[in-house]
Amino acid sequence: MVRLLLLPVLLWSAAALAASDDSGRVVFDYQMNCQGCHTPDGAGAGSVPAMQGHVGVFLQSQAGREYLVRVPGSATSALSDERLAAVLNWIVYEFAGDSLQSPFTPYTAAEVAPLRKHPLNEVDDYRQHVLRAIAGADARE
Amino acid sequence: MNFFDKVFEQRSRQLAQRSSRRGLLKGLGAMLVGGASIPLLPVARAAGAEGAGRPVEEGDPSSCDYWRYCAIDGFLCDCCGGSANTCPPGTEMSPVTWIGTCHNPADGRNYVISYNDCCGKSSCGACLCMRDEGDRPVYRPDKTNDLNWCLGTSSVTYHCSTAIVVGVAFDD
Repeated sequence: MVRLLLLPVLLWSAAALAASDDSGRVVFDYQMNCQGCHTPDGAGAGSVPAMQGHVGVFLQSQAGREYLVRVPGSATSALSDERLAAVLNWIVYEFAGDSLQSPFTPYTAAEVAPLRKHPLNEVDDYRQHVLRAIAGADARE
Repeated sequence: MNFFDKVFEQRSRQLAQRSSRRGLLKGLGAMLVGGASIPLLPVARAAGAEGAGRPVEEGDPSSCDYWRYCAIDGFLCDCCGGSANTCPPGTEMSPVTWIGTCHNPADGRNYVISYNDCCGKSSCGACLCMRDEGDRPVYRPDKTNDLNWCLGTSSVTYHCSTAIVVGVAFDD
């Protein structure tokens, strides 16, 4: 009986260990490509916007979802499509908190690849446009 | 009956009265399941990560040759009243930093290093080091150290640089 009980626990530990290996890679990618400006906890500083408790807002619209990929820091990073998608998902899971209002469909390499070919030029304008549209939609609800 | 028999009989009866027949199974089960799940607790994971991510330290943090300074471009805070990890009194650590990796010869591993600048006082002037490994041109602004990284601080005046280990690097 004890053995039967133990089996799922062991399987669970193995899965958790495998996941932590992946999370080590994704944390490293975040550190090397994002953390310098976005800070370790995504709080930002000075003119670097806070992702902590905020990044989920962008996922309320398709344009916002695309913004997170097309923003130059993402689109032009040295990461592969797979690793960029993994970092973006990690950022959402780690930092979105209550700003994520609906279930999150993770980014995939296939989704990220075509979007990052069109990095944003007027980032601030596009960002404001996206956030205003989302705020407007919220107000109408 | 001799003394030992009496003691053993007493103890056995006490044990029988106080413990249930399946108590051992219950205790053992709880121990096995509980023990197996300890590594899943966030506290245990954090402790493990810290242990795994802690470099073996060798060398002199006030020398340009110190392993963490592989990409440094500036004055060592260790020579300016601070340390490789901390800012000198009267300065403010910039939260926005240049991040790179350095090889630690003492344990043969690569670590992620955050070069947090200390800001708010004029240049320290001691121990100028320019090793610049992994430095990229300014068109890669996040990977160039030729600009002032006193960003997000109340003052943009550069004083000196720290070199803080923030993680273990993954090899590609």
